Amino acid sequence: MAQSLRTVLLAALFWLGSASGQHHHAGHGAASAGRAAELGAMAAIDAQGILWAAHKEGGHVLVSRSGDFGRSWSNPTRVTVEAEGTDPSGEARPKVATGNDGELYVTWTRPLGKRHIGEIRFSRSIDGGQTFSKPLTVHADRQEIAHGFDAIAVNRSGQIFVAWIDARDRTAASAAQARDYRGAAVYFAVSDDRGASFRGDYKLAEHSCECCRIALSPRDDGSVLVLWRHVFAPNIRDHALAAMHPDGRAGAVQRATFDDWRIDACPHHGPSLAQDAQDRLHAVWFTQAPERSGVFYGRLRAGGVDAERRVGGDAAEHADLALMGKRVAVAWKEFDGERSQLRAMVSEDGGDNWQERALAATSGASDQPRVLAWKDRFYVFWNTRNEPLSVKELP
Amino acid sequence: MIRPVVLLSRAAFAIAAIALGPSSSATGAELRGFDAGSMRAIRAAHAGKPFVLAFWSTQCVPCRQEMALWKSIADRNPKLPVVLVATDLPGQEEIVTRFLARYDPGAVERWAFADEFAERVRYAVDRTWRGELPRAYFFDAEHRAEARSGLIDQSWIENWISRQAKPARKP
Repeated sequence: MAQSLRTVLLAALFWLGSASGQHHHAGHGAASAGRAAELGAMAAIDAQGILWAAHKEGGHVLVSRSGDFGRSWSNPTRVTVEAEGTDPSGEARPKVATGNDGELYVTWTRPLGKRHIGEIRFSRSIDGGQTFSKPLTVHADRQEIAHGFDAIAVNRSGQIFVAWIDARDRTAASAAQARDYRGAAVYFAVSDDRGASFRGDYKLAEHSCECCRIALSPRDDGSVLVLWRHVFAPNIRDHALAAMHPDGRAGAVQRATFDDWRIDACPHHGPSLAQDAQDRLHAVWFTQAPERSGVFYGRLRAGGVDAERRVGGDAAEHADLALMGKRVAVAWKEFDGERSQLRAMVSEDGGDNWQERALAATSGASDQPRVLAWKDRFYVFWNTRNEPLSVKELP
Repeated sequence: MIRPVVLLSRAAFAIAAIALGPSSSATGAELRGFDAGSMRAIRAAHAGKPFVLAFWSTQCVPCRQEMALWKSIADRNPKLPVVLVATDLPGQEEIVTRFLARYDPGAVERWAFADEFAERVRYAVDRTWRGELPRAYFFDAEHRAEARSGLIDQSWIENWISRQAKPARKP
């Protein structure tokens, strides 16, 4: 209790510190007022049904605990030692994953220096979220270049995989005067000791898009599948799929979506991926290809997509997906001109037929929704300005 | 919200033959806050004249390349207003200003999102825009807009500019 009170006081002090240290210009008061708490957040449910949320406030990464699926939250525990800057992209956020033995693993991107470069940070708790380890940098590369859009997953044997978007190959190409390096690259690191250390800077693929979140899905063989927005030559921003193996090997890169979206742009709109017991890959993704603009669901197979369907209406954004057995759940948000609607669709038959429903709405700013699965139930975690760390159970 | 129809008065349509108007006084170092009401203000400020509205962010790598393009366009078309809006979340004004100093888009209007409810701001601009960057709108004298996502080809812009200078055809 004393510890959590101290955490709150420290958080309040840092909030004051960061608020007074920021330079706002006139007319921004209302928008600035709530900024101490960032909206980017992520949640995970552990084997005991405890919900853990990683979020950021006053420049600090925090972890909050809920024993009742989000109806109430404990005082947050601070993960970072020093307050850090904000990654303003809307696709970046602290992540939390649970280990096989109650561990909590947290990653985030720490902005560095003056040019929006960053590094991937990691911290763990092995005492049930009471304390977190001193953060470490996951990658060995210490160049002041872009490392960002971290993603974390734990495999069956407890090995931790962290993947991220890395600019080192683009930087090297630029230094060598090589023109037109497409995008950036996906790198990863693996921990065999519950996050005490990482080995890696293994390259998964070159020519990823630079600014979209990465989706991970662990497989039974210990590898972790990665789905990301790629830049296929010359500038096709469709998705690619490859496996990260525990020994650092990278599986073959396969094209996963075939929309043929040709553009030199940052969509800021990454995919989501889950593998079912029949090894089928369920995904949601976003494209603005001509005649095919929107969010889509489909089952990925070599060379094509099965059971593809559009998700939501024209304004659908930032879909996420989870599954349990034959049940698949997708959640997304849609702005209707006044409010952001949180919507979901559930399939009971592996993605062939769907039931869509409205879950919530907010008249303020909101983060991307996350779908969580636990014991035959789906929950949608949605951090909104008006209702922080909210959780909606899917009927 | 941008509509592919005449948004201004018939009077504005009648004077569409007038070439590019004077550039706005909002150029220079000042960074102005862009919210859901700004679209209306910007259109009013450039009433009856063509202008370019371009969105970017510090996280968008292709946007950095586009900065030099805007400088080139602004340098050679001093009467064509170019309105540059950073979509970075509020609170990032310092970084936005640093980026503008580093990548130097020239004599353009400089704005940055002042509302963290980005969907609301985007909706006020164009309800079909899903946030991809760079995103630019080319408004003719009647404020009919052509929208472009992604890095824009300079020759396309020059072609668009040359079309604005020509007398309007009869409806």
